Amino acid sequence: MTTSAETVIAPARTRTATATATATVRRNQGFQHGGWFVAPFLALFALFVVWPLLRGVYLSLTDANISGDGANFIGLDNYREALHDRAMWDALGHSAYFTLLVVPCITVLAFLLAMLAHHIERGKWLWRLCFFAPFLLPSTVAGNMWQWLFTQGIGLFNETFGLTTPWLTDKSYAMLAIVIETLWWTVGFSFLLYLAALQGIPDHLYEAAKLDGANAWHRTVHITLPMLRHITGLVIALQALASLQLFDQAVVMMDFGPGPELSTRSFVQYTLEQGFTSYRVGYASAMSVIFFVIIAAVALARMALLRNREEGTR
Amino acid sequence: MGRPDLNRRHLLATAGGLAVAGSLAFAALGTGADALASGADTRVRYWNLFSGGDGANMIAMLDAFRKEHPGIDVKDSTLQWGNPFYTKLAMAAAGNHAPELGVMHMGRVAGFSPGRLLDPWDEDLLAKYGVRKADYNPALWNRGVIDGKLYALPLDVHVQLCFYRKDVLKKADLLGDDGRMIQVTSTDDWFDVLKKAKTVQKKGLQTIGLWTNDQNFQWWFFVAFYTQLGGTWFDDGDTEVLFDVDKATQVLEFFRKHVTDGYVIPGAPTGEQFINGAPFTWEGNWSVPVFSGAKLDYGATPLPPVFGKQATHAESHSFVLPHQAGRGGATNETAHELAAYVVTHAVQWAAGGHIPAYTPTLSTAAYKKLTPQNEYVSAMYHQATEPKVWFAGSTGVLAQDLGPLVVSSTMGSAKPAAVARTMKNHLTRLLASKNPMDGRTAAQGGAAA
Repeated sequence: MTTSAETVIAPARTRTATATATATVRRNQGFQHGGWFVAPFLALFALFVVWPLLRGVYLSLTDANISGDGANFIGLDNYREALHDRAMWDALGHSAYFTLLVVPCITVLAFLLAMLAHHIERGKWLWRLCFFAPFLLPSTVAGNMWQWLFTQGIGLFNETFGLTTPWLTDKSYAMLAIVIETLWWTVGFSFLLYLAALQGIPDHLYEAAKLDGANAWHRTVHITLPMLRHITGLVIALQALASLQLFDQAVVMMDFGPGPELSTRSFVQYTLEQGFTSYRVGYASAMSVIFFVIIAAVALARMALLRNREEGTR
Repeated sequence: MGRPDLNRRHLLATAGGLAVAGSLAFAALGTGADALASGADTRVRYWNLFSGGDGANMIAMLDAFRKEHPGIDVKDSTLQWGNPFYTKLAMAAAGNHAPELGVMHMGRVAGFSPGRLLDPWDEDLLAKYGVRKADYNPALWNRGVIDGKLYALPLDVHVQLCFYRKDVLKKADLLGDDGRMIQVTSTDDWFDVLKKAKTVQKKGLQTIGLWTNDQNFQWWFFVAFYTQLGGTWFDDGDTEVLFDVDKATQVLEFFRKHVTDGYVIPGAPTGEQFINGAPFTWEGNWSVPVFSGAKLDYGATPLPPVFGKQATHAESHSFVLPHQAGRGGATNETAHELAAYVVTHAVQWAAGGHIPAYTPTLSTAAYKKLTPQNEYVSAMYHQATEPKVWFAGSTGVLAQDLGPLVVSSTMGSAKPAAVARTMKNHLTRLLASKNPMDGRTAAQGGAAA
């Protein structure tokens, strides 16, 4: 790579000095102009992302409260306390449990819906709209709707399926209720990714397979699924990261509480409670940093896994 | 080529500058207009957490005040009940953007950094507008006093009640000659009553609504019955946990028995079941307008004294002065005037089921006519309250910590005795923990003074 590039550049050096100078000036000017164009974004990014991040790390080393004054530097005490806080690990367990339930369900469901919408001939737009539309709802709307649907005694869900399940008030069902709501609400996004990928698979592959006598099942298993492998990896990764950050739909459905016997209190919610109910901003910041590390670890693990697999297939 | 480019840039800069300047000017005009509209009025901003029937009653009282005081501009804001409200109030006070007047649950005051996030009431000013300590139940008044200063002016007492349907109880012969529920003085009496009621009630409904899955209600009920047993929380100096595990177990077993004996359908909506014919429900007094609105033939007593002594859980809505750096002068006096007005004109408020804290109201003919309010007014003198420590109070740290434990016992996820021991451990940890607002423990805080 380097050698060929140098051979291309070498003749250029023999050109006149003025031309090189103009090019440099132009490049500098280009950078300056570009810099100014990016500046508003950079300023906002620094103000609303970088600064709060740094400030959060600093606060995690203090005993700051919500009023913002009188904070003392206390070193790693908050982290020490957090690592021994059973409620925090329970909350992390709830977030992880939710993720384990949601990710496989949503991946399979999104794929099936995409296949349906892709192969159905009549009213294609209607199917796409139906599957995708819930994703456009704000979490509060979706959460409230499902809270009503699940209400014991008068809810449509139990009524329709002839059940008497206490979805929102029993700890064995509360998380399942949130999983069902989340599937309905967010499957549209993964569905769209799959649908786009399905449309990108070249027809001639299927034609060739047909000529070779492959039936629909074989075509799905041996052509469609392998061709969708990358998108499946993406769907799983995005869903896992989003699910670990479970918060809004759960608190809306549980009336801002932690659910029956704390069963739906997610990590994010517990952090919020510590910061804004117990007013322990320093402690909440420490937990946020811990959570950041966990999320980053998951993201990095996914990248490492992907790289290994790509190298394996080469 | 450079000139037009520059011009365009200048143009953009000028336009941008004009836009910014313009919006600032409009903003200035806006505040000016606001000030002009209210003329030379004194403006009182007032934050509360009252929605539903309470909200309507509060607004009616404010409107009455506005009519009588045309020179005062009351700007009231209703915010979401519970922790979101307290978070907003705390941050507003910390950022010096607090309203002149606010509402808080009495139990939250000790943990709300009185002196820093709250300003004390001027008792002389209150007296000028007709509110004196002598007009109150002294125990209630003193709950608002911290370090010798009054920080919370009580508006009401709201209590947990045993609602019963007279039409159902009559069939089971459970009404006395006065048309009210017969007296119950032991747990055996109580379960006997439930048993009789169950035989005559509509089938398919629960016999009693206990909010078995709700951590707030279960906690409130626990405080009531634990107090009936004479249970205490901490010693006077808040250095030692005096929580009695045996008494707590007794209370938890009492709750659990309602479920195991089949008087409760866990998770069933309690209010709806009561309206549809369930004989009993334990509820806050704020459900009075709901049940009266449904035209039920019902009564309401304080929670039955099944452990021998009268006591029912009570909290109070109270007026507070959120901290303002420059508090004083006309706006501050008007805040006192408005609070005093609402406190002394609380018959309307009593329609929402709350017991007015200002005792002269209780002896008015208008109040005495209110049913079932007149049946449970005695609860004012048998209040079971949370301990006066920084982590207590409505939906506070204590309730959030222990409430789910009570639920886990009532629902059968854990054994009552084990839960009682866990509760004691949690109380020990809480007592040792520091109030994040001032870095002091309950013992060091002196908030109980």
